[in-house]
Amino acid sequence: MVAEITDGGILYGLIAVGAGLATGLAGIGAGVGEQGIGAAVVGVVAEEPGFLGKGLFLMLLPETLIIFGLAVSLILMFAWTPFA
Amino acid sequence: MSRVVVAGSNKVIEPVIEKLHELNLLHVVNYSGDDESFGMGKPVGKSSEYAEQLIKLRSIERYLEITDKMPDKQFSTDQVISQMGGVLGSIGDEVIATAERISEIDNEVKIKQDQAKSLKPLAALPLNLELLYGYDSLAAFVGTVSSPVEADVSKVSYVNEVFSAGSAAATAVAVFVPGEKAGEVSAILSEHGFSEISVPRGLTGSIAGAISALESDAKRLEGEKAPLQKKLKDIRAQHEDLILAIDEYISIQSQKAESPLRFASTESAFVIDGWLPTDQFDMVKKELEGAAGGRVQVEMLDSSEAEKFVEGGEDIPTKMNNPKVVRPFELITRLFAIPEYKEFDPTPLIFVFFPVMFGLILGDVGYGIIIFVVMLLLRRKFRTPGWQSLISIVLISSIWAIIFGILFGEFFGPLGLWAYIFSSSHHVGLLGTVANPYAIGTSFGPEFYGPLGRIGPEIAGFAGPVFPMFRLETASVLLLIGISLFIGVLHTGVGSILGVKNELAYGKKDHAYFERLPVLLFQVFFVVGLLGMILGGLTHPLVILSGFVLVVSIGMMVKGPEGIMGVTHVPFFVSNLISYLRLLAIGLASVGVAFAANQLAFYVAMPMLSGGGHDGFTTIAIVVGIVVLITVHFINLLLGILSPFMHPLRLHYVEMFTKFYSGHGGGVEYSPFGRVRRFLRD
Repeated sequence: MVAEITDGGILYGLIAVGAGLATGLAGIGAGVGEQGIGAAVVGVVAEEPGFLGKGLFLMLLPETLIIFGLAVSLILMFAWTPFA
Repeated sequence: MSRVVVAGSNKVIEPVIEKLHELNLLHVVNYSGDDESFGMGKPVGKSSEYAEQLIKLRSIERYLEITDKMPDKQFSTDQVISQMGGVLGSIGDEVIATAERISEIDNEVKIKQDQAKSLKPLAALPLNLELLYGYDSLAAFVGTVSSPVEADVSKVSYVNEVFSAGSAAATAVAVFVPGEKAGEVSAILSEHGFSEISVPRGLTGSIAGAISALESDAKRLEGEKAPLQKKLKDIRAQHEDLILAIDEYISIQSQKAESPLRFASTESAFVIDGWLPTDQFDMVKKELEGAAGGRVQVEMLDSSEAEKFVEGGEDIPTKMNNPKVVRPFELITRLFAIPEYKEFDPTPLIFVFFPVMFGLILGDVGYGIIIFVVMLLLRRKFRTPGWQSLISIVLISSIWAIIFGILFGEFFGPLGLWAYIFSSSHHVGLLGTVANPYAIGTSFGPEFYGPLGRIGPEIAGFAGPVFPMFRLETASVLLLIGISLFIGVLHTGVGSILGVKNELAYGKKDHAYFERLPVLLFQVFFVVGLLGMILGGLTHPLVILSGFVLVVSIGMMVKGPEGIMGVTHVPFFVSNLISYLRLLAIGLASVGVAFAANQLAFYVAMPMLSGGGHDGFTTIAIVVGIVVLITVHFINLLLGILSPFMHPLRLHYVEMFTKFYSGHGGGVEYSPFGRVRRFLRD
């Protein structure tokens, strides 16, 4: 049986692609943000081990970016249904 | 904590120090030296002798590779004193001699290996080693060249002797020419890519023979090393605890002897400043006066005087006082900052929230049990306080992972796998059940999310079973988004309330009511507004109410100490809440990998290797499938310890602590003068 291509199917596919892009690009962004902070924190901790906790705090700050992307993906995939 | 001053005659300084050390209660404030009538105290007793002994002992420890550990045996002070001479004397000397011999051997072996290595390219030369150097009127060049040199050398110096051997790429040569031609020949040689090899002196015979002799020598020396290393190992096994006990004893003695350096003193009297838990004051006073025969004065400053020291920049030491179960979590607090004396110690909150978050993320009975068992085993191995705390934290967290695993219906991935294995029907979807093979996930019933839109239950109209709820199912994802946000509001809300409390404790009403409180209102009503929108769109009364409160809270921020700049923090507060979605997200990732592992093994690897069918797998298919299963689950388990640990940590540090903690820049930990005896018995 040949699968039928429908407008709805294409729309759903595009939504899925969009959701993937949202999380993926946000992940790249967070990674770019974290690389500089990470390097700096490692440098500081090598000099002053007591800074580890605060360094971790700074390093984990940009991580929220991914969660934003993920939130958008989840809304696209689950909460926003054009056919409902 | 109370500020205490102990003053007395120098004649009684030793019994006072002895008593203070034994009580282990007074947090000594070092004498700053800015008072002209006082100087720094002088060490009492045999402080330099202890220091020397300590240096020797530490070097013995280093050679024996003894590091701090939990005690297996304890020793009385008498035992330690009687055996100290032996350990620092004959045993110690033997250890040091053995260790030095080992490093000598290492050195010799290295020299011999280097010589052998440098001679290797020359091995084919038909000359004895003693012929290669030591001439008065001849210049000798020994090394390798990249092209033949004999013809060119003859052009410069008619009198010459050239020996060469070896491959074309790197030919070994030994060129001998009269001394006065040395410069020209050297230039010629460098054109041919000459690189000199310095011939080790003192060796004789053929080059190849010398190389094999050097190598066999090195091997022999290596062999000599093994029994010496075994000797060190034996000594270590026999005396480890004793050596650590002696270390402890000498450290205590040396700490006592050097303590007057921290006190203010005059020629005939001393003054010790410090902080003491207030309820212990009477006891300490009595004990000290008893020890010094009444020739010491112990005074407690009243709070207004103590306040002056604090204003002068002195920190009141903080003693974190938590029940035993909660104590491991002090590790997380300490990693961030020690709470200040007046600040709230967040450790109990971490104890409540952290394991739940860990469990919510991991949420798998199988992984939880494995982590629990592994941690129990590690607890015996790693017995330093830091590791013990860490292991206890993960242990408590893994119990929550098991509890959530039961709720989520996960045992190494969604339970559907096991229904699949143990049923006769092999056409079950991994997320489905035997009864309803094509259903993905557990049905919550069509009306489950009715009145609340998609989030929240309607108990009466509820049709399907709620538990186990498979996390990969759409309805569960939506429910978990709600749960994550709810935990977020609770978590940050508690943080904000503590923030208000903290600011009030420091007497800053402005900050409390116009900086901390609006954050609480904003975050709570932001989520209430979202809920209202899901319930009934933009006109729902909850949306209107929360819109009003949000405007009020922003107004309060503008009125606050930061003025209009306070409003710039608003996006941060929103992102704080959204950040809690990671509780769901990372959990989904972990269950997703587990699901993929099962799918890969049972739906891809096994059917493919047995010819495509879903029944009757071949042996090899089962073996390959199990290998795939174990590998992927193992990787997922490692990630499943790391990320559920790091992310709740972040939620505490970034989302919660910023609301109330360490705004005044960390405190000083209460570390009383004294020492907890671990290897010494009383």
